[in-house]
Amino acid sequence: MNILVVEDEPKAGNYLLNGLQELGYCVSLARDGADGLHQALEHDFDVIVLDVMMPKMDGWEVLRRLRKEADTPVLFLTARDDIADRIKGLELGADDYLIKPFSFAELVARLRTLTRRGPTREEEQLQVADLQIDVLKRRITRAGVRITLTNKEFALLHLFATHQGQVLSRSMIASRVWDMNFDSDTNVVDVAVRRLRLKIDDPFQLKLIHSVRGIGYRFDTQP
Amino acid sequence: MNGLRHSLTLRLALVFALLAFVSLTLLGVALYRDLERELIRRDDAALVNRIDQLRTFLNDSNALELIRTKPALFQNMLGNREALLTITSAGQTPLLVVNPGNLPLPSLAPVAMDRPLSLADVQHYPGVDGIPFAAVAATIDSGDMGSLQVLTGRLMTERTAVLASYRINVYLFASVAAVLLALSGYLLVHRGLLPVRRLARHAHGIGVGNLGERLDSHGAPRELLPMIDAFNAMLDRLGKGFVQLGQVSTDMAHELRTPINNLLGETQVALQQHRSIDAYQQLLASNVEELERLARMLDNMLFLARTDPSSALKQRQELDAADEMQRMADYFEGPAADVGIHIRAGGSGVIWAEPMLLRRALANLCANAIKYGAPHSELVIDATPCAEGIRLSVDNHGPTIPAEHLPRLFERFYRVDESRERSANSNGLGLSIVATIMQLHNGTCSASSQDGVTRFELVFPARRQGE
Repeated sequence: MNILVVEDEPKAGNYLLNGLQELGYCVSLARDGADGLHQALEHDFDVIVLDVMMPKMDGWEVLRRLRKEADTPVLFLTARDDIADRIKGLELGADDYLIKPFSFAELVARLRTLTRRGPTREEEQLQVADLQIDVLKRRITRAGVRITLTNKEFALLHLFATHQGQVLSRSMIASRVWDMNFDSDTNVVDVAVRRLRLKIDDPFQLKLIHSVRGIGYRFDTQP
Repeated sequence: MNGLRHSLTLRLALVFALLAFVSLTLLGVALYRDLERELIRRDDAALVNRIDQLRTFLNDSNALELIRTKPALFQNMLGNREALLTITSAGQTPLLVVNPGNLPLPSLAPVAMDRPLSLADVQHYPGVDGIPFAAVAATIDSGDMGSLQVLTGRLMTERTAVLASYRINVYLFASVAAVLLALSGYLLVHRGLLPVRRLARHAHGIGVGNLGERLDSHGAPRELLPMIDAFNAMLDRLGKGFVQLGQVSTDMAHELRTPINNLLGETQVALQQHRSIDAYQQLLASNVEELERLARMLDNMLFLARTDPSSALKQRQELDAADEMQRMADYFEGPAADVGIHIRAGGSGVIWAEPMLLRRALANLCANAIKYGAPHSELVIDATPCAEGIRLSVDNHGPTIPAEHLPRLFERFYRVDESRERSANSNGLGLSIVATIMQLHNGTCSASSQDGVTRFELVFPARRQGE
C-alpha cells in the first residue's frame, strides 16, 4: 500500500513515517502543503494522510486542489474538536478524519478501511489455527471442543478474528462491540478480553490473544 | 440619518416639536373655522338687518324724498368703501346707488315682499382679489311709490384681514411652541438620561479585577431600577461563572500535574543509565497510559467547554429505553461481575436523546455505581415514563453519601473524599459531563443517598411537537 503523509510538524511526520514503514507500507512524507500537493499529483498513492494546520498552503487548500484532479482517498488530521471543521473537511471531499491526539493503531485501522477495495464479504466460516468460528450458527470450537460464549464475547471474538494480526485499540473495540464511541473511564474492554481469554486461550497451549503494551490487543497465531 | 436614529434625545426633541406643532395647528384650525363661521354669520346678519331696516324705513314717503335729495346721507350711513346699496323701482333708473368701491353689481332675484328675510337668502361670491363678497336683494313695499328693489352687499375686507392675522398668529404660536417644546424636551431628556450616563460610566469601570462591584441603584429613577437589578444579577452570574472557571482551571492544572509528573519522573529516571529493552518497553507503555489519561482529560474538558447545544439537539432520536438499559448492562457486565455486582436492567418507554450522549451519561453513572458499589450487591438501572418525559435511574448499594455533598457532586473535579487516591481511570469529570449532557437535552439530573442506597436520576423531556 502506497501512503502519502503530508505533515509539517517534524516529530509527528517522523513517527508517522517510521510507524507506517514498520508495518510494511510504502510511505512518502511531504513536509508542507505545496510539496504534498505536488507529490499527490505526480505519483499514484492509495491513500493520503493530510494534516490540516500547515503554514502557507493549508490542508483545505491542498484538498481543494487535489480533488480537481484526483480522487485518492484522504484522511485528514485536525487538532480542533470542532464539528464545523469536520464537516468542512468532508464536504471538500475528504473520506475520513482523526482528531489529535489519536492512537496510532486507530490511524492504521482507518487507513486499512479506506483502502479496502470493493465490498467486504462477510465470511461465514472463520478459521484461526485450531479455532473455528461458524458465524451464522454462532458456534465456536477449538481443538474440537465446543466453547460457549455470551453475545458480546462472540462479537469481540468475531472482531478479533476478522482483524487477524492487526493491533486493535481499546476505543476501537469499545466502538465496534458495544457501539460506545467515546473513551470511557472504565476498563470494560480489558475485563471483556480477560474473560474471553479465560474461555478460548487459557485451556490451550497456543495463545491467540496478545496484549500490545500501551496500545491494545492483537489476535494472531504468532506471539 | 444615523445620528437621528441613534440619538434618543434628538429624536424625542423632534417628536415633541412635531407633536406640539401639529396639535396646536389643529387646534388653531378648528378655532379658526369656528371664528370664520361666526364672522360670516354676523356679517350676513348685518346685511339682512339692513334690508329689514330699509323695509321699515322706506315705507315712509319722506324717506324716499330724502333718498332723492340727500343720497350722501345714505353713503355716510353705510359708512365705508366696502358697502354697496342700490334701490331701484321696477323698470326705472336706480333711485340710489351707493357704490364707493365700484363693485360689480350682482344680478340677484329679490326676495318677495311678504316673506321675512333669513340668513339663507344671503348670497356669497368669490368677490374681488380673493376677498369674499356677500349680497342680498329684496322687494320692498314703499307705499305710494309701489314696490322697490333693494340690493345691499358688502365686501368682507375686514373679515378677511382679521382671519388672515388670526391664521398667521396660529402658525406663529404653533411654531414658537414647537421650538420651545423641542428645546425643553431636549433639555429634559438630556437631564433625564443623566443617571443612565452615570451608570454607563460605572459599568465601564467594572472589569475582571472588580467583578464583585455592583451598580448603585441609589438615586436612580424608578424606571431604571429593573435594568440595574438585571445588570447586577448578570454580574452575579458572571462573577460566579468566573470564579467557577478559575476554579476549574486551577483544578485542571492540578489534575494535569499527576500524569505529567509521572511522565517526567519515570522518563528521567529511565534515562539515568542503560537499561534492558524490556525496561524501556515498560517505560514507554507506562508513558502511553499517562498520555492516554491526559488525552481523555483533554477530551472531557473540550466536551464540557463546548457551548453550542444545537448540534447535539439536532441529532436526537427516539430510543427504546429497555434496549438502552440492556446495552448498559451488557457493557458493564464484565467489570461488575469482577466485583460480584449483579446488574438488573429494566424499564420501558422512549428516550428522546442523542444516542452517544445518552450512553455516555449512563456509562458514567454506571461506572461510578460499580466503582463505589458494595461487593456482591445489586445494581439496578431502570427507566420509567413520567410527566415530563422519561426518568432513568441508577441505584447501587454502597456507603451513604453525606447530604452536604449531594448538590455539589455534579461540579467539575468535585470529590466527596479528597484523600481518596486518584485512579488513572477517574478524573473527577464524569458527573459534570453527565450534568452537561442533561443540560444540552434540557433535562435534569439529581442524586440522593440514604440507608446505603445511592440513586442517580436523569429526566429526559419527552419529544415535543415539531421537534
